[in-house]
Amino acid sequence: MTTLITGGSKCGKSSFAEKMLEGFPGRKVYIATMQPFGEDASEAIERHRKMREGKDFETVEKYTDIHEISLGMNCAVLLECMGNLCANEMFSGSEVVCPAEKIVSGIKMLAENVSELVIVTNQVGSDGISYPGGTADYIRALGKINRRIAGFADNVIECVYGVPVLLKGEMPC
Amino acid sequence: MVMVTGGAYQGKTAYAMRKFGLAENDVADGSAASREALKNARCISNYQELVRRLGDDSIAFTEELCRCNRKAVVIMDEIGCGIVPVDKSERVWRENVGRCGCIIAANSDTVVRMVCGIPAVIKGDKGDKS
Repeated sequence: MTTLITGGSKCGKSSFAEKMLEGFPGRKVYIATMQPFGEDASEAIERHRKMREGKDFETVEKYTDIHEISLGMNCAVLLECMGNLCANEMFSGSEVVCPAEKIVSGIKMLAENVSELVIVTNQVGSDGISYPGGTADYIRALGKINRRIAGFADNVIECVYGVPVLLKGEMPC
Repeated sequence: MVMVTGGAYQGKTAYAMRKFGLAENDVADGSAASREALKNARCISNYQELVRRLGDDSIAFTEELCRCNRKAVVIMDEIGCGIVPVDKSERVWRENVGRCGCIIAANSDTVVRMVCGIPAVIKGDKGDKS
C-alpha cells in the first residue's frame, strides 16, 4: 500500500504519517531526506527525531538517489520529505536538472518492494508569488512529482491544520 | 469551538456571520484586539495576524484560549502552502501559524474550509452544506 500525504507547513503531516504506521507489526524504516545544513534544518531534524522517539523507527539518511535503497519486503517505510528530496536532487550538482523521472521511478521501485510506503510531501505552489528561475523550476518539478505519485498511490491525503482530508482512496487511520 | 479556514478572500467571515448569526461587534479582529477581548469574543477573525503580533508567545496563548473560550468561532487563513520564505521572521510566523492552527483544529468540534465561498466541512458533521 502506498500513501501520499501532502499539505502546507507545520500542518500535522508527520504526525499523521507516524500515526498511520503505529500499529505496524514489523520493521519500520524512516527515510530522512533533509540535510543538516543550517540552524533551521538542524532544529527541524531534532524536532522530528524527538517526535519519533519510542515509535520504533530505524532511521536511514538518504538525501538523493532513492532508487539505491534496498529493504526487505515486509517492512514499512516512511519517507520524509519529498520537498527536500526534490531540492537535493535539483540543486546539489553543478547544473539544475528536473529530477521528476528519476525520483518517481525510485519511489515506484520502493513501493513495489516494501509492504507499506508512506510519503510526506509539500504543497508549495499556492502562495501566488512569481519566483525567479530555479525556484519556479522547483515548484514545477515538485508539482509534477506529486501528480505522478498521486497517480499510482492507493491513498492521497491532505492535512489542513492537522485535519486529514481524503483526496483519493481510503482514510488509512 | 469552531474553526473556519481557507485562503484569503474565500468568504470565511461572511460564512461565519451567516452560519452562527453573528453581528459585527461579535467579531474581534486578531490583528488589533486585546487578549482579554479575544478571550471573551464569540468570534475571532484574522487569527494568523494575532500569531504575527504574539510571536512565539502565540502557542501558549492559543492553548489558553482553547481552554477559556471554548465556544469561539476562530477564522484563520490557510497560509503554509508555498515556498519557505527567505526572511527568518516570516518563516517563524508561518510555522507558528501552522502550529496554532493545529491546536485550534484539534480543539474544534467542527472545522470548515472555504473555497470560493463554498464551505466544506472537513471535521465534524460532513453532511452539513449550509
